[in-house]
Amino acid sequence: MATALGLLLTGGLGSQIQNQPDDAQWVMPAKNFASTRFSTLSEINTANVKNLALKWSFSTGLDKGHEAAPLVVNNTMYIVTPWPNTLFALDLTRPGPAVKWTYQPNPSRSAKGVACCDVVNRGAAYFNGRVFYNTLDMNTVAVDAVTGKEVWKTSLGTIRQGESMTMAPLVVKGKVIVGNSGGEMGVRGWLAGLDAETGKISWRAYTAGPDTDVLIGPNFKPFYPMDQGKDLGLKSWPPDMWRIGGGSAWSWISYDPELDLIYYGTANASPWNADQRPGDNKWSSTLFARRPETGEAIWAYQLNPHDDHDYDGVNENILLDLNINGRLRKVLAHPDRNARMYIMDRATGEVLSAETYAHQNTSEGVDLKTGRLKTVPSKSTGFKTVRDICPAAPGGKDWQPSSYSPRTGLIYLPHNKLCKEFEGRQANYIAGTPYLGATVRMYAGPGNYRGQVSAWDPVKAKTVWSINERFPAWSGTVVTAGDVLFYGTMDGWFKAVDARTGTQLWQFKTASGVISQPVTYRGPDGKQYVAVVDGVGGWSGAIVSGGLNPKDGTGALGFVNAMSDLPRYSPKGGTLYVFALP
Amino acid sequence: MSSRFLRVATFAACLLALACKREERDFRPQPARLSLTAPSEAQGDLVPANTPANTVTSPVRGGNPYEGVAWGISEGQFLFDSYNCSGCHARGAGGMGPPLIKDKWIYGVEPEKLFETIAKGRPDGMPAWGSKVPEYQIWQLVTYVRSMNGLEPKSATPVRSDHLQQSLRERPLQ
Amino acid sequence: MNPQSAFQTAGQHADAIRNLGLQFVGLLGLIFLLVITMSLLSIRRRHRGIEQEPLEHTHHPSPGTEAKLTRAVSIACGITLLIIFGLVTVSVSVGKGISAPVNAPKDLVVEVNANQWWWQIRYLSDDASAIVTTANEIHLPVGRRVLIRGSSNDVIHSFWVPSLQGKRDLFPQHMTSEWLKADRPGRFRGQCAEFCGFQHAHMAFWVVAEPDAQFQAWMRQQLQPAVEPQDDEKRRGRKVFMDSACVLCHTIRGTEASGFVGPDLTHMGSRLSLAAGAMPNNKGNLAGWIADPQNIKPGTHMATVPLHAEDIQPLIDYLESLQ
Repeated sequence: MATALGLLLTGGLGSQIQNQPDDAQWVMPAKNFASTRFSTLSEINTANVKNLALKWSFSTGLDKGHEAAPLVVNNTMYIVTPWPNTLFALDLTRPGPAVKWTYQPNPSRSAKGVACCDVVNRGAAYFNGRVFYNTLDMNTVAVDAVTGKEVWKTSLGTIRQGESMTMAPLVVKGKVIVGNSGGEMGVRGWLAGLDAETGKISWRAYTAGPDTDVLIGPNFKPFYPMDQGKDLGLKSWPPDMWRIGGGSAWSWISYDPELDLIYYGTANASPWNADQRPGDNKWSSTLFARRPETGEAIWAYQLNPHDDHDYDGVNENILLDLNINGRLRKVLAHPDRNARMYIMDRATGEVLSAETYAHQNTSEGVDLKTGRLKTVPSKSTGFKTVRDICPAAPGGKDWQPSSYSPRTGLIYLPHNKLCKEFEGRQANYIAGTPYLGATVRMYAGPGNYRGQVSAWDPVKAKTVWSINERFPAWSGTVVTAGDVLFYGTMDGWFKAVDARTGTQLWQFKTASGVISQPVTYRGPDGKQYVAVVDGVGGWSGAIVSGGLNPKDGTGALGFVNAMSDLPRYSPKGGTLYVFALP
Repeated sequence: MSSRFLRVATFAACLLALACKREERDFRPQPARLSLTAPSEAQGDLVPANTPANTVTSPVRGGNPYEGVAWGISEGQFLFDSYNCSGCHARGAGGMGPPLIKDKWIYGVEPEKLFETIAKGRPDGMPAWGSKVPEYQIWQLVTYVRSMNGLEPKSATPVRSDHLQQSLRERPLQ
Repeated sequence: MNPQSAFQTAGQHADAIRNLGLQFVGLLGLIFLLVITMSLLSIRRRHRGIEQEPLEHTHHPSPGTEAKLTRAVSIACGITLLIIFGLVTVSVSVGKGISAPVNAPKDLVVEVNANQWWWQIRYLSDDASAIVTTANEIHLPVGRRVLIRGSSNDVIHSFWVPSLQGKRDLFPQHMTSEWLKADRPGRFRGQCAEFCGFQHAHMAFWVVAEPDAQFQAWMRQQLQPAVEPQDDEKRRGRKVFMDSACVLCHTIRGTEASGFVGPDLTHMGSRLSLAAGAMPNNKGNLAGWIADPQNIKPGTHMATVPLHAEDIQPLIDYLESLQ
């Protein structure tokens, strides 16, 4: 309460976490530690955005799914490509920006065989003159931002165990924080902190196993009794199943400097066939708050105990200070795969609300007393066939990050509208191969469209407006102080929308579908630019990037069935487009 | 005896003779088909395709013993799930791996080529299964993959898979 | 004592089924005898109508005979209906007594997952880390009611321990369940009772009923990870296992082997039989089984694993050491 009063007294809307200073660059994929993806630039606004024009473009020369956000630092743009994970540095000071240098980490070709959902990379992070990112074959690299020379390269695991790395690191207090991917391959998930100077691994926090491996110590204070107890990461699994239990940390990390906590979610439990792993399967599908320097867990909240539907808990956590029920609360907003928007007290891990933001029939709500998700028994999976499960495995929303505008107070969610049918069978574990035990087919949810972009009011916990999209809205969103919201679609439209009303103001047809994260920055000439990379692929676009055969709908873990018409709307691609006012 | 009766009788006898043909099921693999096709490495993991360890020359000899054998195809289907092939290739559509129902094959769809692909792996992520899987099982997998593409006799190929059939409740796409 | 007999029963469920069977056989046998006797009597009795009248003439019984016949047939029908109804009632009540709803209040739950051609056995528990997984062998505490839940991974199988219960079909993608209780200690043989392919006949298992203390000790022991090999020979055997096709299908907890296609081998040395009841568990049989599984169970999915001659003995020593 004292903090809240303090904030009010200092008139401090400016001191709220969502109002961070903006240097008009783009140094990390989420824009800032609070992960708002909000830019204070306002040259492009709702009135003039209709004049937006293409200024220049750049081809990565690749045609797999491009999910990364470009970085803009010191008038240089950095782009990480999907495998082979080339890093391009483009000099923005010259007209028709030229390549300053490229860095090739030469990841193993075999690594492509363990990437569950196309050979994507979600971006790099800039800190102290270096660019940090992960390669598909389990290395984190630090590259000198000026010269393009490799400073260090640290191996964090082996693809032989099915591990890969696709997430964008976050650099906090001199630690490069990274996690692995591979929840579909039966990996043992972890998050690690590397020394930004040397690349040495300072800590590694496993998702499952004994408390010592999870870095749970005396300061661990989960809010709900269901998450309290000793060695739950061991006791909530059948003997030894936690060793191959998934729970990778393959997506976003946020950081609150005041509480000195990082926030991230862990992935689904392995295998998909939930009957093979009775128990809560902690700490899969869980939100963790940890200390960035030591990795020590401070609190945890399991979003989907005994996950039945591949509902990873990895989606972004937007840190906000919001006035909820008359109190200024430090919250995090987490739109989960289970189609619920969790508003949680980020100091304690208490759930304040968890309302539905997308069509779903798998849960009835969250019991705010026990914190436990109330699941619908008829939709639970296992050694059986279950039909009409909504949302499907990619969830109400997958990794594609949402944005928040402090001007409108709304969260802009790109999300999916997919359902699935599920047949469980015996999963078999062979190191380095898929560990699933399920045959899945996805299809469009009610209304016959497969995606939506919605504006969500986190205080009232309801949707303000939404736009239907033909395909899952698989790109991130970005919102600016000009009240313009940018996002791209899988059928290749890059759109500008009025952030208050949802009215479409402008659109541009890209060569391939967009599944990446748009950014906006001030160029050396003082003008505001908007940049986005196209290149359809990822899990949703695998039918195009992998050339999959739609005759068998179970392809790409069932996604092919829902996307059989995508090839008609989007070819492969990989081009950066940069727009500005004329 | 009328000639018509004779004709009918001959026809019936032919039909009966046909019905007598039973597929030969040779459960026991010949010893020659039991060898491993790539060296195994100490860790017990599958060997990625482009490692120096995997430099053995092709072991293919004698052709596919399960060509046109329904039991071989059915065993191949069982192994396709058991060895997690379906995790990457689904039931032919592909996913993490390329589709297996297609017209254009990078490395060839001939039994010997498929055998080599499975046994020795391919550089973009296909592991070298020959380090673990016995030769006769690789042939069963080869036969199943070919049957997906209609390259095995219809009489030996199952008409539908053992798995989840498309629901009638699914909504058609726009 | 016959370990597989529906007459030498060892549990109240099997008793009920045996008694039901005996009642059926007794009552229906009696009726059968009655009918046969009546038939024989009527054949022996000379039929006046046929001898006195030419066959082409229609025989008209007198009104008195007609009424008598109608009454006799009606009474016979009534009795038949009553008997059938009575039998159905008895049968349903016995069936209800031994079957159990899938979500019945749990005491001890054993999950049976049938495969071509072996049985996966899992002891469920609210404490997930106390779940025991084994194969082809069920241990039961004497006198305690156990809920058997079962399904199949491929085709329809049927779970049958004649000395303890009736048949319970196991279906793919569907769970069935029933109660089981052993009233005395002993070893009872179970058998798949629904034709399921080549090796249906060799799809057996053992049920070991033992006093509670012994049972609990067995459970504790099964929960342990596999013992570490104690000498070089066994260590070599473990390496052979991990480097060959074995590791692709079987689990040995405590090692990297985590396959679920074949039986869990973490404690295979402690089991009574090999290859789902096909033969007693000893080194000789194990060697035969590994070297040429198709000789013992033609059609089995167990791989014929190519092994060097000098590798077989260490592998067998290692596997048999997994107590």
